[in-house]
Amino acid sequence: MTVTFGHTDLPEEQAAALRTAKRLAWGTIAFLVGAVTLVYLTMGSSQAMKAAWVEDLLSFIPPVSFLVAVHFARRRPSESHPYGLHRSVGVGHLVAGTSLLAMGAFLIVDSGSGLLAGEHPPVGLMEIAGHPVWAGWPMIAAMVVTGIPPVFFGRAKMPLARTLHDRVLYADADMNKADWMTALGSIVGILGIGAGLWWADSAAALFIAVSIMRDGVVNLRVATSALMDARATTVEGDELHPLVVRIDEHLAGIPWVAEVGSRVRDEGHVFHVEAFVVPKDDAMPGLEELRQAREGLIALDWKIQDLVLVPVEALPQEMLPGSLAGREEARRA
Amino acid sequence: MVRPVLAGIVGLLLLTGCAGRFPADPEGTLDRVEGGVLRVGVSAHSPWTEVAPDGAPTGLEVDLVTEFAESLDADVEWTASGEEDLMAQLDRSELDLVIGGLTAASPWAEHSALTYPYTTVPGADGAPQAHVMAAPMGENAFLVALETFLLEHKDVQP
Repeated sequence: MTVTFGHTDLPEEQAAALRTAKRLAWGTIAFLVGAVTLVYLTMGSSQAMKAAWVEDLLSFIPPVSFLVAVHFARRRPSESHPYGLHRSVGVGHLVAGTSLLAMGAFLIVDSGSGLLAGEHPPVGLMEIAGHPVWAGWPMIAAMVVTGIPPVFFGRAKMPLARTLHDRVLYADADMNKADWMTALGSIVGILGIGAGLWWADSAAALFIAVSIMRDGVVNLRVATSALMDARATTVEGDELHPLVVRIDEHLAGIPWVAEVGSRVRDEGHVFHVEAFVVPKDDAMPGLEELRQAREGLIALDWKIQDLVLVPVEALPQEMLPGSLAGREEARRA
Repeated sequence: MVRPVLAGIVGLLLLTGCAGRFPADPEGTLDRVEGGVLRVGVSAHSPWTEVAPDGAPTGLEVDLVTEFAESLDADVEWTASGEEDLMAQLDRSELDLVIGGLTAASPWAEHSALTYPYTTVPGADGAPQAHVMAAPMGENAFLVALETFLLEHKDVQP
């Protein structure tokens, strides 16, 4: 059975990437269950450990939203959802960003107030297999064990996120890759407690909280911008997607086309394209020419499928704001 | 990014090495108590602690603390009062330890460092209660010394 996103058939490369990404998402969830349990058992009264634990809990959101979003995005468009359910990616991304921002803010207040109040975290002994051990050591061990695997998860997910043009997966990979900093921050905090520097723990927690909040702000910005129909960008969200320029280029290369303007929005995974063409000498192209032009565009990339091609007498400036001059520049560059 | 963090860890370890204890006390409680005075607050809770009219406390926890002080070569200075007053004194660093049949479920956990439970006995309602003592927040060398002692003398039964 061919794998689809909406009515878009995925090429073999994307279908394989999707299978791997789903396995990785399940793997991440399984790993997190273990990590959250381990950190909870060892965290004691360290603020930094608490922050790291909350971050682990929050790390469930991106892989879960990825799996849920992909599940919905694959559905074919229906009468009630004629554009398909690709926006589920945007919704998942928005939820992930919001929760990161909220938890980051909460932890900043929590650890910041601890720092201001001069709270001295107590870390005493715990018994492991009958031996008394300073509770800081198991905390450090838990941080080492839970801090390293996410980096590999992140590295494996990143190229898949680009292949699938999936922002939730990208956000997940990005957070995973930065997870070792959280672990290291906690370890420094705990060693600080051991060294008698009571503030080191809260300071480490604050550092982790700021990094969580920063993740939240970045994700929220990209997610809201995509949901508000920003022009299609790369999966990182910072650059114009090269496909946008290629669409105009392709149309401009058709013999009967005089002028081209298009707007492209990112539905999540796939693009929705509205292309306007002005035929040469005001001669209306035949249905066959229009079909060829449309199929040529769809053949450009698997992300183009939902496409509206409109022959017009002049490009509608109000639908292509400010883009004509900028696009000319991009094309020349 | 990696280098400053690693430098920080090495620095912390060096600091630790200089301090001599790991974990260390931010306020140096253990250093002060050793060969000096252990200031203990007692709130009456028979049979763990009993405060006689003349002020000399007795009880299972009082015996434990006396022995702990001996192990540190310290004299004990007892202060008998209610729990809230004693906890406030502990918070102000006027006491080094508070006892009074406290359990791990004590609401004072936010104001003091409750020790590792040294014994578990059935409470008034028959449910098991883990008994602890209250040390100052974050004085981890002192806390570890006390807990090490308690672990060696655990499972005291009334």
